Amino acid sequence: MATTQELAVTLKETGTAKQGEKANEVVIGVAPGYGKLLNKSIKGVPHAVLLRELVAGLEEEGVPYRVIRVLHTSDLGVIGQTAARYAGSGYGIGILSKGTCIIHNKDLAPLDNLELYSISPLLSVENYRQIGRNAARYAKGDTPVPVQQPYDGEAIGATYMARAAVMHLTETAECKDGAAPLELEVTFQ
Amino acid sequence: MATEAKASGTKRSKRFEFYDTQRQLALDGFAKEWVDVGLVAMESPNDPKPSIKIVDGVVVEMDGKERKDFDIIDRFIADYSIDQRISEKAMAVDSVEFARWLVDINVPRKKICEYTVGMTPAKLNEVFAQMDVLEMTMAGHKMRARRTPSIQAHITNRKDDPLQLACDAASAGLYGFSEMETTVGVGRYAPDNALGLMIGSQVGRAGILSQCAVEEATELLLGMRGLTAYAETVSNYGVERIFLDGDDTPWSKAFLGSCYASRGLKMRFTSGTGAEVLMGEAEHKSMLYLEIRCILMTRGSGVQGIQNGGISCVCIPGCVPGGFRAIMAENLCVMMNDLEVVSGNDYQVSNSDIRRTARLMPQLLSGTDFIFSGFGFIPAYDNMFTASSFNGEDLDDYTVICRDLRIDGGVQPVNEEEFITIRRKAGKAIQAVCDELGLPPISDEAVEQCVYAFGSKDTAPRDSKDNLKASEIILKEKINGVDLIKALAKRGFTDVAENVLNMMKAHVSGDYLQTSAIFDEDFNPLTAVNDANDYQGPGTGYRAIGERWEQIQDIRQALSSADLA
Repeated sequence: MATTQELAVTLKETGTAKQGEKANEVVIGVAPGYGKLLNKSIKGVPHAVLLRELVAGLEEEGVPYRVIRVLHTSDLGVIGQTAARYAGSGYGIGILSKGTCIIHNKDLAPLDNLELYSISPLLSVENYRQIGRNAARYAKGDTPVPVQQPYDGEAIGATYMARAAVMHLTETAECKDGAAPLELEVTFQ
Repeated sequence: MATEAKASGTKRSKRFEFYDTQRQLALDGFAKEWVDVGLVAMESPNDPKPSIKIVDGVVVEMDGKERKDFDIIDRFIADYSIDQRISEKAMAVDSVEFARWLVDINVPRKKICEYTVGMTPAKLNEVFAQMDVLEMTMAGHKMRARRTPSIQAHITNRKDDPLQLACDAASAGLYGFSEMETTVGVGRYAPDNALGLMIGSQVGRAGILSQCAVEEATELLLGMRGLTAYAETVSNYGVERIFLDGDDTPWSKAFLGSCYASRGLKMRFTSGTGAEVLMGEAEHKSMLYLEIRCILMTRGSGVQGIQNGGISCVCIPGCVPGGFRAIMAENLCVMMNDLEVVSGNDYQVSNSDIRRTARLMPQLLSGTDFIFSGFGFIPAYDNMFTASSFNGEDLDDYTVICRDLRIDGGVQPVNEEEFITIRRKAGKAIQAVCDELGLPPISDEAVEQCVYAFGSKDTAPRDSKDNLKASEIILKEKINGVDLIKALAKRGFTDVAENVLNMMKAHVSGDYLQTSAIFDEDFNPLTAVNDANDYQGPGTGYRAIGERWEQIQDIRQALSSADLA
């Protein structure tokens, strides 16, 4: 099995995203730059690894899923809700190239959420597996315990915010106004 | 990050190796100015030059842009913020001259405000370019709206435990915090957190204002139900695209502001340098220029104040040259616009104790309406905004440096026994309220443990399912402030019940809708109207004197000869 540092993923765009129909299906929405020009999180973890963990969590809980690329915005809330709207269950996951992550639902206000992981450098690889599991549990009608991010008082912004700005500027430059989301075919290597 | 170690074989200076590996500073991130994307604090060559043209009562040109090219922010400012009665005259004042008026103790605050409201964003931007940080600080001394400076606390914890929120709010009240802000680790726990903070704050001291920073609609609902006393995190952005990303326009934000006003609730907007570039689009402008647009929009909306000074994006101005200077400029700009300023110092700008203290100095020395928009009362690990620039670990230092400098920083030293006693009272109060309202119970053991706790590492476990259950009950049964009053009164917490009642009455009296309003312990409002800043040099203005100075200097560590006998 490929180690964390060796794992890669191909995200092939196969056309406009379709509306899901399976009642327990979760959709993962990735940001415009995910796995393209930007392919590592703010902590240097390959995007392939984060995506694999989300997917593994969903698979563990036995729900079907799809992955789409949201193009019209780099805002995490909108990306997460867009994914939720395309999902058969109405539940979606949003993820930015920095690694910032959200679990959303189609009926919430766009800037509301079920679970929000707003500080990308605080997310561990294991957190993404838990986020995947939780999203699946919501889709199945459960009420999972929200994932707890480890935090012990570090001045996390002082260390990472400049990097976050540069990454997010790069991601936002990839946005295409008014573009519909694209279906992705995911292949891990 | 610290400079990468050189390839092996290169001998390092022990001094530089020390700096790169042994200092707190080594963990900070910095960036070179990048003018094109707006990674520049002030004075970008891309910032527009000031200009205005008014024809038949309509602003047809502003800062080099014709009306037909205005974006929604230009349009809002042109039509609602620019006071046309003074605009021509104000724009004609030489920017160096106006900067001198700001620093000059003999030019009254009123005159500055009169002229400011006729100025465009680029004009104000040009004025600040003339000033160094000391001059800005000196100007702030005169320009803040309320005479008496104050301070706001963050009251949060990792367990979203309402017991700890209540105990912390009450004991923070003893220190002198006049506003308190909570938020949530999980959005759905908002109602329960708001309730905990409301109870605890009114145990701490009558009149402390409490807020719960969450999604806009939820926050308004909590305020309308009397579970909070004010709102702050109603955000404005200086770039149209970013504003729209915030799911709003200047008009919808103004509408939201009026919603609070219609219910008699104090509120302010939040903005801050660095937000636009962090969110991905700065239109090539400087951070300060974009922030000035936010400040003018706020005044144009009729909102009474702003939380600014970087705020949660402070590491963006903080990572470029002159960032701390820009932050004082944006605070000063709020004051000049005759608005309440809640001046940042609420997010950890640096791993270095020295740097984060430097960042504080302009606002502390100047005095502002709220020197901290969120002094982390709890330990850094319990701050659900992530660490503030000053945290529970630093509170003792902060009270002492106010004594050192003879400055009223909004706080006073606290007696340990009183601290413990009030935490116990708050714990019992919230325990009683939860019991009365049918919320998940709080045990006697949990109360007692929380009394002595510093942070959530020292408190009893709290089942997160109880947070959800409590919040669901609060929403489902529409529990509101009156229910809290009844519950408290029924269980013998008459004084706390009266305080919550008076907080509800405040929604009707409207007194605390005035600029820079806080309450004293008798629920008398202290605002820019009845406590106006009258500083104009030595012999005038607010000073740490008399009984207040006695209070500030009375630290427990100070020895007298009696102690040595």
